[in-house]
Amino acid sequence: MSGEVRAIFEPKSVVLVGASAKERVGAASPVFFGSLVHNTLRFFKGKTHVVDFSGRLDGAVKNLDQVPSGCDIAVMVLPPKLVMKNLRKLFARKVKAMVLVAGGFDQHQLEELTRAAAKQKVRVLGPNVLAGVINTTKGLCITLERGLMPPCGGIAMISQNCAVGTAMLDRACAYSVGVSKFASIGEGADITETDLLEFLTHDKETKVICIYLESVRDGRRFLESIREAVQKKPVVVLKGSTVREGVERNRIFVAALKQVGALQVSDIEELLSVADALAKQPCMRGNRVAVVTNVSGPAVLVADVLSREGLALAKLSDNIIKKIIQKYPNINIADWVDLGIDANGDRYKFVLEQVLSDSGVDGVVVVNELKSTFLKLEDVQEAAKAVKKSKNTPVIDIVMCGEDCVLVRNELRDKNVCVYDSPRKAAQALCALCSYGKILKKVGK
Amino acid sequence: MIGLAAAKKKVTELLSSVRKEGRLELTELDSKRILAVWGVPVNRTELARDLSEAIKAAREVRYPLVLKIASPDIIHKSEAKGVKVGLTSELELRQSFDELIDNARAYKPDAKIFGVTIQEYLPPAREVIVGALQDLYFGATVMFGLGGVWIEVLKDISFRLAPLNAEDAREMIQEIKGYPVLADIQRAPPADIDALVNIIQKVGQLAHEFPEITEIDLNPIFVFDNGKGAVTADARIVLGGRK
Repeated sequence: MSGEVRAIFEPKSVVLVGASAKERVGAASPVFFGSLVHNTLRFFKGKTHVVDFSGRLDGAVKNLDQVPSGCDIAVMVLPPKLVMKNLRKLFARKVKAMVLVAGGFDQHQLEELTRAAAKQKVRVLGPNVLAGVINTTKGLCITLERGLMPPCGGIAMISQNCAVGTAMLDRACAYSVGVSKFASIGEGADITETDLLEFLTHDKETKVICIYLESVRDGRRFLESIREAVQKKPVVVLKGSTVREGVERNRIFVAALKQVGALQVSDIEELLSVADALAKQPCMRGNRVAVVTNVSGPAVLVADVLSREGLALAKLSDNIIKKIIQKYPNINIADWVDLGIDANGDRYKFVLEQVLSDSGVDGVVVVNELKSTFLKLEDVQEAAKAVKKSKNTPVIDIVMCGEDCVLVRNELRDKNVCVYDSPRKAAQALCALCSYGKILKKVGK
Repeated sequence: MIGLAAAKKKVTELLSSVRKEGRLELTELDSKRILAVWGVPVNRTELARDLSEAIKAAREVRYPLVLKIASPDIIHKSEAKGVKVGLTSELELRQSFDELIDNARAYKPDAKIFGVTIQEYLPPAREVIVGALQDLYFGATVMFGLGGVWIEVLKDISFRLAPLNAEDAREMIQEIKGYPVLADIQRAPPADIDALVNIIQKVGQLAHEFPEITEIDLNPIFVFDNGKGAVTADARIVLGGRK
């Protein structure tokens, strides 16, 4: 099953089918077709063939017959009627899978399409997948939004809704959060969330799987797939549609996800925060968090939110405290480690090394504020170095000032550090690392 | 408890005999029979079709006892003034028997009345509810909560899919906000959580093995102090599909 889904995510060749001149609104609009062609030519490392029924685009052919046989995916930016009309021609080209961008197929068309596709062993993603498919390492960017391509990384995303999926991608770009693969399912006539989940479970580039769900087909199989996946990597679910489904039904859904070890989040922001940490950091063995900061205010807020989320402040051992004070007598160690506003990279480096060597510490929050302190932007590299050295204890970074957070995030790009602009997001991330630790213990890993 | 295969066969028989009578809602007595076969502890419950049977059953079950109206058409027995708790003598039983029958007739004149059930009286304990339903996405699902206002007002319930292991059942008990009521707090010894875990697992397994059962409601279950068990005091099972 997942072998067939592979063609969707890892195509060597792609056929884009649309009409550049035909005035249409909706998903089959020539504007979207243009964006899709642009994205593919700009990013895709494999072979691209463009079929333009209008015959206007440079390098495009006008007829499906002119496309070489055996391409991996055909992306159809056509209204249902034209898709149906060209189905036989398309199958004659022996494509392995197709993505149906437009929605609006009636029941009869859908049945005919899925039956014919099954007969030809062609897998179908869609219909109604405007957000498409992305594979960052292969440069595959089948989206209708021009240039929407997140950086490479370990997060895979599946969305049952295109707009929510697009928002997830948009945030990933905005926060420089690395994505491995993305797919929106649309109406799921053939390929379902479970098919994608099973493929991503075994995908080496994917460290964490995120899913936006509104409903589910074949609920028990889906849950069993999650149960299997969480033994290898965390699965984070954002469940929508509580109001439409009713409170009790949703509570059962939530309980079922919990039972099989999925982590659950309540919005896209939390999804990104949590997934970023899970992709880059080790699990927390316990719930004790040490906070190392150069200003006290943010640490107060961090401490508050940690306790609200059920985490505790770590108590450093006397031995470690002694070592720190010996070298830096002015450092204040109480509920957290206050380095003082004059702290520089060296001080961060030394203290983080000590804190990370304390067996009473399960996780570390580093606060490095740039405003009204003597910390320089390049000093935050010390946090990154500590993260790199720390194999078993997660370290995450908070910069509460928004502008500075963007600067620090840029400075630490490609350094495998999670940088958050709020204590709440940091606490959510640590909670997820803690929960996944417990889940792994439960499944005996 | 008898073996699983034998229990399954027995439950299948009981369910089909209910269907043959043209009913989808099982009486308390039927429901408790099924639960007992399935290994869920229930209080002793005997049907008495008339007063002489009632007196005879009472001698076996022993006073004090509980008297409840037995009618397939009366689901909410308290609402029909069809329950008497803590009868201590034959004199009380004689008076109560006629009273319950009269109350039932007044409540629903066309109700079919089988008689009354004579039930073992359970000493006061913490009360909980265990239920099951068939979810549209996931099938057999169990529900747990404390009785009364905890569920009705606070909606303090937890769910898990069936079948579930002991760890899941324990988590489900600990998940509700009212858990401290059952746990080791404030002078009172903890409730028998292990006994509850067993009931939750059994009810889940029953719903899982018999998808035709659309609803199970054990309400209330009396949970005694740790080591002293838990007993179902009232139960209702509903079947899906056609009669």
